[in-house]
Parts: sequence; structure tokens; C-alpha cells
Amino acid sequence: MKNRPLSPHIQIYKWHISSLVSISHRITGIINFFAITLICIWFAFMLLGESEYQTIKIFLESFLGKFILIGITWSFSFQMLSEIRHLIMDLGYGFELQTTKITGLLVIFGSIFLTIVVYIFGRGVI
Amino acid sequence: MVQLSLPKNSEIKKGKYFKDKTGSKNLRKVNIYRWDPSTDEGPRIDTYEVDMDNCPSKVLDILNKIKNEIDSTITYRRSCAHGVCGSCAMNMGGKNGLACTTPHAEIDGDIDIYPLPHLKVKKDLIGDLDGLYKQYQSIEPWLKNNSTKETTEIYQSKEDRAKLDGAYECIMCACCSTSCPSYWWNGDKYLGPAVLLQAYRWIIDSRDEERKARLKKVADELKLYRCHTILNCTNACPKGLNPAKAIAEIKKMLATANV
Repeated sequence: MKNRPLSPHIQIYKWHISSLVSISHRITGIINFFAITLICIWFAFMLLGESEYQTIKIFLESFLGKFILIGITWSFSFQMLSEIRHLIMDLGYGFELQTTKITGLLVIFGSIFLTIVVYIFGRGVI
Repeated sequence: MVQLSLPKNSEIKKGKYFKDKTGSKNLRKVNIYRWDPSTDEGPRIDTYEVDMDNCPSKVLDILNKIKNEIDSTITYRRSCAHGVCGSCAMNMGGKNGLACTTPHAEIDGDIDIYPLPHLKVKKDLIGDLDGLYKQYQSIEPWLKNNSTKETTEIYQSKEDRAKLDGAYECIMCACCSTSCPSYWWNGDKYLGPAVLLQAYRWIIDSRDEERKARLKKVADELKLYRCHTILNCTNACPKGLNPAKAIAEIKKMLATANV
């Protein structure tokens, strides 16, 4: 048999809300893996005493540190909401096309909303 | 391992450009994936300018028009032209569907037509579905009932019959399976939405006596649980069926039943 080519797949396939949420679920899962490591390091510095803790505090208060912290908050929020969506699906509900779109959008916007809420409460704005 | 890029022999080049000869003002560009097994060249995209004033509403009509009037060498499968046979399944505008039921008005911009994704191409728009048919065979898609004689009628209540709705209508066009990223990367082991929907159809048939054996057969990390509810399948199905839900139901049965 001739060396048959493989037809294009991910290069041409159109994205939609459910596939975007699904891939983001995986990506945020990986981010969270590293995020937990960072949180452990943060705790370790806390145990080492005040002067060591200052080092990580300065880092976390820098622009990059803030970006990472807000990013982690979003990634945890997203993972949590998406996981709830998966749990509902595992029970056999929410498979109608319209419903999957709505729950997908809820996950996307809900994660942004939760990030803002955490930020507002954490900063003591309210 | 997940391979995101295409292998060397599958890289797509720009092909020929067929300029409009009718002088029509209502033109659309149609990009079609071409590969000819009789040459040593790789796949290419040919572009056709099609006169839309004299073209019926579906993507299959465009293909027929090109084949009849512009370039008779393009190759594609089609038969019934009414969404019943499932022959003309292909990827149009980035989404799988039947060319005969997909209106070209629904596709924005240039119309891109590719074979079903992640298949070995036989020629132009025809992908090799042998692997999928073998998997279909493996679930033994026929009624298994040993306690009744072949000549006896097996009764089924209206409620039990209703359970088959949404499963028996499948025409095995492979739009769903070839839209599934899990099937792209694990298609040799993962059964894919089309075959799992059929497995479900026989598992829930009240007349079938091999329910447990059927469940046991699909209860496999790779055969079934590679479904991660990406839902490309349900989005792609031209018959409006829901393979993702059927797979979820099988998972649920396995979680609750003592198999």
C-alpha cells in the first residue's frame, strides 16, 4: 500500500465552548500542580522565620508575583467550576447542546467572577 | 503520545487555482483537499471559483458542480444526497458533517473542504474507515437472544422501545468519531463515540440477553474511559444524536451495576 497521508485534524477543526473548556480544564490542572508547589514553598519560607519570609513577600508583591497569584486564583476557580460541571455530567445530566454551551459559559465567566471576588475580599476592599 | 503536527508526508501545499470562466458576479472560493495516490506528490489544496447564482443550497451541490463543470478529477463519496446513507461525511468549514445536508450559506468566508480528520487518506476527500468498521464489528452489533426460538416473536414494551430512540437512528457516517480528539490520538484502542453509541444501543435493548457480557466488554480504561466529554461528537452529529450522553450512560451503568 502506498504511503497514505494523514488528513489534518486539530489544525483545521473548529473550536467551540465545550472543547475550549475541556482543554482549559487540562491546562489549569497542570498550572495547579505547580501552584501547589509554590504554595508549599511559601509556607516553608514562613516556617524559616521573619527575615526569610521577607524575601518571598517581596517577590509576591512584585508585578510578576501579583500576576502569578491572580493567575493561580483564576486557575483554581476555573478548575473547581469545570470539575463541578464534569460531576454533573457524570451523573448523566447537561448533555443537550444548548445546556453544554450555557454551563461552559458559566464556567468561563464564573471563574473570572470568582477571581475578582477573592481579590476584593482578600484585599479587604469590602 | 499526542502528536499535534502532521507527519512529513501529510504536509499540505498550495495547489492549482481554477479561475471562474462563467463571468458570474456572485463567486465563492472553495478550497478542497486533494491527494492523488497515483503520483508521488503530497497533499495540496486546490482553489475553485464557483458561480453561486447557479448552484443549489448544499455543500454537496458545490462539489457536484465542480466535478461536472470545472474539474472532473475530484473524488468524494456520495450516494443518497438526503442525509440517510452517510457517505458524504467530510469536514466543511472546520466542522464535520454530511455534505448533502450542510448548507453552504452557514459557512462564512471561503469554503474549506477536507476529508474527515485524522484518517489515512485514500484519495482526495475519501478517508480510510476500516479501523472504525473493525471496532464496530468487535462490539457484535446484533441481537443476542438464546432463550427464544428464531421463529418466535420477542415482545418489547413501548417504554423499552423508547429507550432505543436517539441510538438506532445512527447511520455510521463517522462524523462524530473523527471529530473526537481522544479518538484522533487513541483511535487504535479507544472505541470512539460512533461505536460506543452502538454498544449502548445493544446494552439497553430489553430483548438482548447478553447485557452483562456487553458491559464487561466495553468496561476498559482505553476502550471507554478515554472519553473526556469534549463534546465534539454531539456537536458534529448530522442526525442530532448525542453520543456523549450515551457514553455517560454506559459509565453510569458500570458505576452502579455489579458487572
